[in-house]
Amino acid sequence: MKHTRKILSLLLALMLACSLTIVSAGAETVELPRNETLYFAGQQWGSINGWNPLSDDMNNAMGITQDAGGARTIMYETLYMYNMLDGSLTPLIADGDFVWNDAHTEITVKIKPAAKWSDGTPITAQDVAYTFETNVKLGNAKGNGYKPYVESVTAVDDSTVLIKAMLTDAGVAVNPLQLVCFLEECYVVQKAWIQTLEARCSNDTTAMKNDAAEDVVWSGPYTKYFANDQKVVLIRDDNYWGQDASMWGSLPVPKYIAHVIYADNAAGQSALKAGEVDVCQEFIANVQDLWLKDGLPISTYLNEAPYGICVNMPTAWFNLDIPVLQNASVRKAIAMAVDYDAINQNAMTGQSPTFADVPRSCMNPTAGEQATFDHDAVKDLQWVGNDIEGAKALLEAAGIVDSDGDGWREFNGEKITLNSCCPNGWTDWMAAMEIVAAAGKSIGIEITTEFPEWSVYQTIVTATTQTDYDIFMMWTDSATPAQPWGRIRMMMSSEFIGVEGNWSGNWGHYSNARIDEIIKAIPTTTDATELKNLYTEAVQIYLTDVPSFSLMYRPNKFHAVNESVWTNFPDSTDGRNIPPTDCTDGYGIAALYALELVNP
Amino acid sequence: MKNTLKQVFHSPKFLVGFCIFTSILLMMIIYPLVNPGNPLEMIGLGTFAEPGTYVSLYDSVGTKTSTLKLDGADVKRIDQVLSGEDRVNMLNWFTADSIDISGLDITDTDTLLAMWKANFDPSIRLQGMTKAMRNYYIRLNDNINAAASADILTVSEIDASTGETVEKAEINKTDYVNVGDVANVKTLPLGTDNFGRDTLKELVSACGTSIRIGLIAGTVATFIGLLLGLLGGYLGGFVDDIVMFFTNIFTVIPSFVLLILISYSISQDQRGANTIAIVIGFTSWVWTARSVRSQVISLRNRDHVNLSRLSGHSLMRIILTDILPYIASYVVMAFILQISSGILAEAQLSLLGLGPKTTDVPTLGLMMNWAMLYSAHLNGSWWAYFPVILTIAFISFSLNLMNTGLDQVFNPTLRD
Amino acid sequence: MKGYRKYFGKKILWLVITFIAALLLNFTLPRMMPGDPVAAMTAKQAQGLSEASAVKAIYDNYAREFGTNKPITQQFFTYVVNLMHGDMGTSFSQYPRKVSNIIGNAIGWTLALQFPAIIIGWLIGNLLGALAAYIRKGFDKVLMPITLFLSSIPAFGMAVMLLVVFAINLKVAPISGGYGFDMLPNFSWNFVVSVIQHYQLPFWSIVLVSIGGQAVGMRSMSIYELNADYVKYARFLGIKDRRVVGYVFRNAMLPQVTGLALSIGTMVGGALVAEIIFSYPGLGTTIYQGITMADYPLISGTTLIITVMVLIATFVLDIIYGFIDPRVKAAQFD
Repeated sequence: MKHTRKILSLLLALMLACSLTIVSAGAETVELPRNETLYFAGQQWGSINGWNPLSDDMNNAMGITQDAGGARTIMYETLYMYNMLDGSLTPLIADGDFVWNDAHTEITVKIKPAAKWSDGTPITAQDVAYTFETNVKLGNAKGNGYKPYVESVTAVDDSTVLIKAMLTDAGVAVNPLQLVCFLEECYVVQKAWIQTLEARCSNDTTAMKNDAAEDVVWSGPYTKYFANDQKVVLIRDDNYWGQDASMWGSLPVPKYIAHVIYADNAAGQSALKAGEVDVCQEFIANVQDLWLKDGLPISTYLNEAPYGICVNMPTAWFNLDIPVLQNASVRKAIAMAVDYDAINQNAMTGQSPTFADVPRSCMNPTAGEQATFDHDAVKDLQWVGNDIEGAKALLEAAGIVDSDGDGWREFNGEKITLNSCCPNGWTDWMAAMEIVAAAGKSIGIEITTEFPEWSVYQTIVTATTQTDYDIFMMWTDSATPAQPWGRIRMMMSSEFIGVEGNWSGNWGHYSNARIDEIIKAIPTTTDATELKNLYTEAVQIYLTDVPSFSLMYRPNKFHAVNESVWTNFPDSTDGRNIPPTDCTDGYGIAALYALELVNP
Repeated sequence: MKNTLKQVFHSPKFLVGFCIFTSILLMMIIYPLVNPGNPLEMIGLGTFAEPGTYVSLYDSVGTKTSTLKLDGADVKRIDQVLSGEDRVNMLNWFTADSIDISGLDITDTDTLLAMWKANFDPSIRLQGMTKAMRNYYIRLNDNINAAASADILTVSEIDASTGETVEKAEINKTDYVNVGDVANVKTLPLGTDNFGRDTLKELVSACGTSIRIGLIAGTVATFIGLLLGLLGGYLGGFVDDIVMFFTNIFTVIPSFVLLILISYSISQDQRGANTIAIVIGFTSWVWTARSVRSQVISLRNRDHVNLSRLSGHSLMRIILTDILPYIASYVVMAFILQISSGILAEAQLSLLGLGPKTTDVPTLGLMMNWAMLYSAHLNGSWWAYFPVILTIAFISFSLNLMNTGLDQVFNPTLRD
Repeated sequence: MKGYRKYFGKKILWLVITFIAALLLNFTLPRMMPGDPVAAMTAKQAQGLSEASAVKAIYDNYAREFGTNKPITQQFFTYVVNLMHGDMGTSFSQYPRKVSNIIGNAIGWTLALQFPAIIIGWLIGNLLGALAAYIRKGFDKVLMPITLFLSSIPAFGMAVMLLVVFAINLKVAPISGGYGFDMLPNFSWNFVVSVIQHYQLPFWSIVLVSIGGQAVGMRSMSIYELNADYVKYARFLGIKDRRVVGYVFRNAMLPQVTGLALSIGTMVGGALVAEIIFSYPGLGTTIYQGITMADYPLISGTTLIITVMVLIATFVLDIIYGFIDPRVKAAQFD
């Protein structure tokens, strides 16, 4: 007995001591002052493993996100900042607007004289050119992604960058839209630092990409301060060049930007409710309950549903490798029967404009994209859903009937049985697929749901051909300067058929020669009327052939803010035109300069 | 046998446990009769409707009304939109807008509202006021306006042919309908879950599945354990060595870890409730095997077994008639415990996202998992998870009670 | 001493054998999962990438790096060799981070949470069980059903209820994490307080659940011993009640030590799930991440570590048991 107790107490003491030392190993002594720190949730999942802007694997969403919808510019910076609200580009490192040459094959960008690296050296055109070269050399996502469109990036002089487009045989740019994306998506990294890295890694590309870049030189207003498995903290660089009058004219308001790494959405949301998070980039079911029911000082960009700016459309694709789905009437009938309002309510809890508000097309609900096509010309092709009778009539007309009286329709004498699939655990998508299945039942087509693991799902969906999934969900592009062209290409371009590991689009393998022509023509068309005609025709083809159908509109970034500590976040009614991209992405970063304390 | 049963049912613990378990079973049988239908049907749009009785607003418009003049109806109506906190906030607005509020009594609703209407302007942006607060005042103002609107509310419909609005009904503040007269009234004792399913209906069905999982897991585990224990214990020698080898290994490797690994290696679309049950059974036979073996070893050289063996009875017969009856009570107890640990194991697996696939059947673990995924515990939707926890607790409580009761019957030294 | 050496030798042998078995299971089972995790990693990079050949290049690069393009036997060989160097492979979901690094950061939290919790739960449970057996009457009648009910609540259920009551409704405890959201780890008093505050709820949810099971077992054992002949004899001899009770409980404790050894695996499993509810930065949360991200190096690393922890705990308990139970010595001569 005595022995036991001794040993046990010893063990206990050991464990406690152990735990404390482990927990407190290697850190600086700081408590972040609440009124100098802006807390985020929903951007960083898992711990930071490096700060290398040339790598694709740094799991550093808080510091590195080169996204065409607006790159995150709190530590590294791009030439321009994208604003998804109006599609405009605001110069950041660049000085003034970029200039196309007359042939529309080259872009000239000036560099701001004030722009400096964190080590005090000026940002030059050589940095821009060298970053592009390195990206291509390393074969990282940005290098591979832009290689087909950008022929070269060169420094004319220290402050002038010349970006040449890749040309087709006919001598026109392959895709001028992608050149514009390049300006707002790709970071500029210091040439001198890249050379240091090259020397350290002996020019080995894998080693360069896996380098944690602790010594990196940055140009943005914040830099790394602390990171472990539980959180990441960035600290303001008070020497930031952007306080120059030619840029922001001041420093961003919060001294620290902190992101606790939450285990899941629920943890992040409870922290938002508790006021431990100021800006939350997470889908919050029934977000309005936070202020209506709980009376919390939480708000969203829009005061009423859909609460956020929806810029993309999670879409259900028909597998055109399945014979019955090669029949356009079957496709359209299913799409017409689906109860989209139910999807909106269940999967998005009403945080999506309905298809009655924004009739379906290939465009997202933003005013810019909606203006690209002729609404009247496609009116008769659009449907709002839950139109059981219309769908049945369409099937009857196509001769797809229930001839043996078992309640299910047949195609070529066989009962139509389809499945609708999405990855397991993607709750909003799963709810949507259940509703699609229910729609099938209501028009006499048996649809069952299947929810494989994501790791399985994505290998099948991206395969060159597959017959496992009949109706399946994938995403479509958000707002970028290349939209809505990019999304139309994603939805219908036959160039993706037969591609191994196809992550680019047209997962249902739809093929139409005319749409391929349109997709080819749009990027190089400059005449406004002609462009509108092309877009309208694309939408007409999409709505007639129904190779896929959008299930809802969804924001790219969710944006809910708690005003317990900070206020003056972007708001739809404030006239400042700052997009709700979490105060970090694209022109959304302007929000950081306007924040105010609730209790100064 | 009869005597044993009688003894068993005289044990108060067993009896209480048995009653709880039976009432859960009865509930499972009776409730679907009262409330038939598919438990996975999504009846509600949206997530987590609160428990309560839902009256169709549409139907109640056409329903026969009675006039009831109730004292304080107006006050209640106003109070519904104007809490004490709201009144204080109204004062704060006046102060922030530098309006003189001396002598204003916030319990004096009429004066307060009059003053509010005279002074509130949604377009004014007060210094230092957050957006959330600004929105709050606009909402409050809207609510006040709605509550204070005309005495008669008009319901109109749009004529499909002409597109004109046609008045259909008028609703007075004193109009009441009898709930019994409304065509569609639905009581959801436990509200709906994240998919808009009737939680109680789902719970009852899930309870059945989970008990089935427990039973299958228990049967598999008991069967394997019994078989290995009997073989090892009775035959001894090399067979026993092999049995002990595996038993020892699986005693120490946590069954939970094994469960995770095995379930993980089965893809989701093949993970049905029964598959999961068998996997659980497959990882929890060790205890039974160990104790059966040790009991068999002590029985092996008893006189009646030796006698039987000398009489040339077959191995099968010796085991069935001379050994099994002596360890039967123990096996039954172990079986009961395994049912409850099987139910628990399913719940834990599901919480990790490794449970049976969602769309087939509801299980207690899946309900819990979905409630957690939709953060029911954080947004106050207690009905989505608390009844589930309680059900699991009651099932295993009843089984544990039965087990303890049996223990006392079969081990007289433990009797009270 | 020879008896002991034999006893320990046997235990160590079993430790090694079980470890090898665990290793095999850990390697094989996660790799049987359908689907291609390398493709999942590629997916992360390939979003928005419109060039097919680029995607293929990324894929091949990863496949080479993880060795998934090699035969499975060769993969196992590499796995074991690497493991000897303390390298459990590279995480898929947090590439290029090492699994051992992720686990190293989480294991301290789990150890510090679970061992004290399980041991304290065991101690309190045994104490209550013994009291119930000794006092009987009202105490027993009230206490037993309560502890039995407590032990019937699953650990995650207890965790959720504690979370809702204390963290969300009463707001006396933090909701998630291992320390304050506004803190950086350091040696200050404030930080220690914050850690302890975050420790409370997960700790008690494990303790409360484990009390029940232990108390029930201890009560049975104690009653059994109290009714044993030697007790009657001792009482008959007029030995002081206090002393007799001391013997009784000591004898009753012994099986409880073995009981702990046998049930520690189950307890750890329950506690891991409880960790997830509190987003406690331990192994439970790590394994959950691994599962949701289909990160099998992480899953197999974590399960291996948990197995090893349980193996060691069981081994230590066996050793303790060997020391405190005189009968073990006798058993050596079988």
